[in-house]
Amino acid sequence: MIAETAHTAPGLALALILLSAAFTDNILLTRFLGMCPFLSISRQLRSAFGMGLAVVFVTTGTCVLNYWLYVYLLKPLEAYGVPAESLKLILFIVVIAAFVQLMEMLIERISIRLYFSLGIFLPLITVNCAILGASLFMVNNVASRGFGTLDVLVYGFGTGLGWFIAILLMAGIRHRLRNAKVPAALEGAGITLIITGIMAMAFVIFQGMIKL
Amino acid sequence: MTFLQPILLATLAACGLTTVLAGLLLVAERYLVRYGTCRIDVNAGGRVLEVEGGQSLLASLMGQSIFIPSACGGRGTCAYCKLKVLEGGGPVAPTELPLLTEQEVADNVRISCQVKVRNDVRIEVPEPLLSVREYRGVVERIRDLTHDIKELRIRLVEPREIDFTAGQYVQLEAPAYGDNPEPVYRAYSMSSVPSEKAAIELILRLVPGGICTTWVFTILKEGDEVTFNGPYGGFRLSDTGSGMVWIAGGSGMAPFWSMVRHMKQQGLARPCRYFFGAVKQRDLFLVDELRQLEKELDWFTFTPALSGPTDGDEWPGERGRITEVVAKHVADGSELEAYLCGSPGMIDAAAAVLRGKGITEERTYFDKFG
Amino acid sequence: MPAPEPQTQITRPGQALLVQLWRENPIFRQVLGICSALAVTNLIFNTALMCAGLIWTTTMSSLTVSLIRDYIPRRVRVMVQVLIISVYVIVVDIVFRALFFETHKDIAAYVGLIITNCIVLGRLEAFASKNKPLLSAADGLGAGLGYSLILLFVAVVREVLGFGTVLKNTAWETVVLRGWEPGVHETWWRSWTILVIPPGAFFVLAVAVWIAKAYDLRRQAGTQAKEAPQAKEGGA
Repeated sequence: MIAETAHTAPGLALALILLSAAFTDNILLTRFLGMCPFLSISRQLRSAFGMGLAVVFVTTGTCVLNYWLYVYLLKPLEAYGVPAESLKLILFIVVIAAFVQLMEMLIERISIRLYFSLGIFLPLITVNCAILGASLFMVNNVASRGFGTLDVLVYGFGTGLGWFIAILLMAGIRHRLRNAKVPAALEGAGITLIITGIMAMAFVIFQGMIKL
Repeated sequence: MTFLQPILLATLAACGLTTVLAGLLLVAERYLVRYGTCRIDVNAGGRVLEVEGGQSLLASLMGQSIFIPSACGGRGTCAYCKLKVLEGGGPVAPTELPLLTEQEVADNVRISCQVKVRNDVRIEVPEPLLSVREYRGVVERIRDLTHDIKELRIRLVEPREIDFTAGQYVQLEAPAYGDNPEPVYRAYSMSSVPSEKAAIELILRLVPGGICTTWVFTILKEGDEVTFNGPYGGFRLSDTGSGMVWIAGGSGMAPFWSMVRHMKQQGLARPCRYFFGAVKQRDLFLVDELRQLEKELDWFTFTPALSGPTDGDEWPGERGRITEVVAKHVADGSELEAYLCGSPGMIDAAAAVLRGKGITEERTYFDKFG
Repeated sequence: MPAPEPQTQITRPGQALLVQLWRENPIFRQVLGICSALAVTNLIFNTALMCAGLIWTTTMSSLTVSLIRDYIPRRVRVMVQVLIISVYVIVVDIVFRALFFETHKDIAAYVGLIITNCIVLGRLEAFASKNKPLLSAADGLGAGLGYSLILLFVAVVREVLGFGTVLKNTAWETVVLRGWEPGVHETWWRSWTILVIPPGAFFVLAVAVWIAKAYDLRRQAGTQAKEAPQAKEGGA
């Protein structure tokens, strides 16, 4: 469906990619990635916001960079017998680490305020599963649906956005829950998982709406 | 050999990419993290420093031999390094906020290890800190006072003399050793008298797992070189001349040993009752010297107390917790000042007892060492 | 002020393993590392493969990092650890691709994500970089096993109640909840589809954490009641 739409209405195709990345295939609620910082940072709305922004930023950037790396370096190497699928794991993570460090330096230079609200989360997300996961799923999409650079950009942005929305929602809910009576054994991890499950159920609605 | 080809290519690709990225990061660091020379104006022009931008304020000042106290080594946890940054400090970092009160933020007080020098700054440094210097010395003598307390005597090399007030402390540097990759600084009160300027003495108690005391107790030898900076601290004899109650335990003896001998030298005859608490007899030290002083000085009394003497101790003196002993001996504290030096737990308990005796908070001085 | 000493010193490999298995089980003590495997827990076989991969990775990287711990410069510590983990994960990836091709297609991305799994990195940072090789390997093995314990529990619940089968899509598939006639697709148990879709994983995991914590709280309350209160010795 994407291929045909791409010819007739490219904008619509991009919108579909964005919506499916953010909602239908929400990287956190349907693919379970990026949970660790999610569970700890979602306690405060402010840091959740900062972290979410950082994730959007990094997923978009690294998806595009890793796409170029995959298409222009790894794929051609396959002709020589190099297992691109396995090698990409190391290369992607190296790119992500370098990107994050570079961004940290840039942001600190450009705006201290931005650095304090967003930059300090950057080192934390180098090893966030969601970032690497976004790149890996992007590769799947490239293989199965023939994504191009713009598609990948939108896909990365959508993925990060989905994580951002999930963490904002969670922070808001936990904020409300502060005064609720939770059974002792469920406090902390337990109740957060249940909330996440309910949120995931809500997002399942989108599955029928957008068929990529 | 064809099976080698993919392996070689894969390794080449991985290494090549890593090198390119590392190179990119290095270049970026050179051009992006470049702040040039910045001016630090201290105390409205009292001192003006030119430093390389990009470091924390604390590190920049230390590089110019202005030693701001720091216990955590710049990690942003101890809040010892508070300074007033009037201009150029940038927005308050999120790591500083938990350590500052609202009033402090309004007064431009900042955690100097978390403030990065990116441009010219104007700061205020309390005068006593400006006279803090770094000293190099040689260990002249290490003396065992008890099974876990040692006295360290350090002869000064550079600079040759130190000026301090009885009760102040220095930060001794324990160099990198064993499992510790970085030097650490720990604070110890000087037990020597201020009139002796060419050497200092410190009293250290071995803390299990403590980085500095383990180094002193197991590695440091007489003749070794050491580094420390100071003098720091506002714990000192007041100007009032009122009678005093001193309470200490363990290595808390240090400032009082300095103070009492200083008072003797200067002829400061203020009524002074010194209570020293320990658990067993083997934890007591300098008892004979202090009893001798008690005989010589009619204004000084020394009362050691054991809280848990073993049966073989034959202890004729006071027994019980130091706070109980103080309560027993001090009837009316309304004219007295109190000086406390020891662990936070002991200090809090003692302060409560003293409050009950009429010694107000303003007349109670603490040296919380833990 | 020096930091307080940890409660017990881990000195024996067996002890290291057992501690990681239950008392300090990474998943419900610290809720770490659930990301990369929750998605596959709707099938027991996939989960088993993931767990095998993780156990291999944690054990081997703990061993490796512990062996070279004195030679890694501090600044690049995290990067070196991630690179070591990547190497072992690539091995897992290649083995799975060769031996279990069909299943690998479904779980490929998640196998790769073992690299960023908080448990692996966490154990390296907290234990392997400071302890001897054999001890660290045992610690890694224990962490992997503890993780597998929880995940397999979740997988069993999800597959049996969600699909009605055990080890679906493998040569060993067993249909557990089914009527007499083998050709009939309907089972007498209405499959709980909710367990098959993502939310199900969260709920089952929440229940697992709930049970574990409740058991733990009960045990703590029991031991506290037995201990007599000790008088505190204050003073210097």
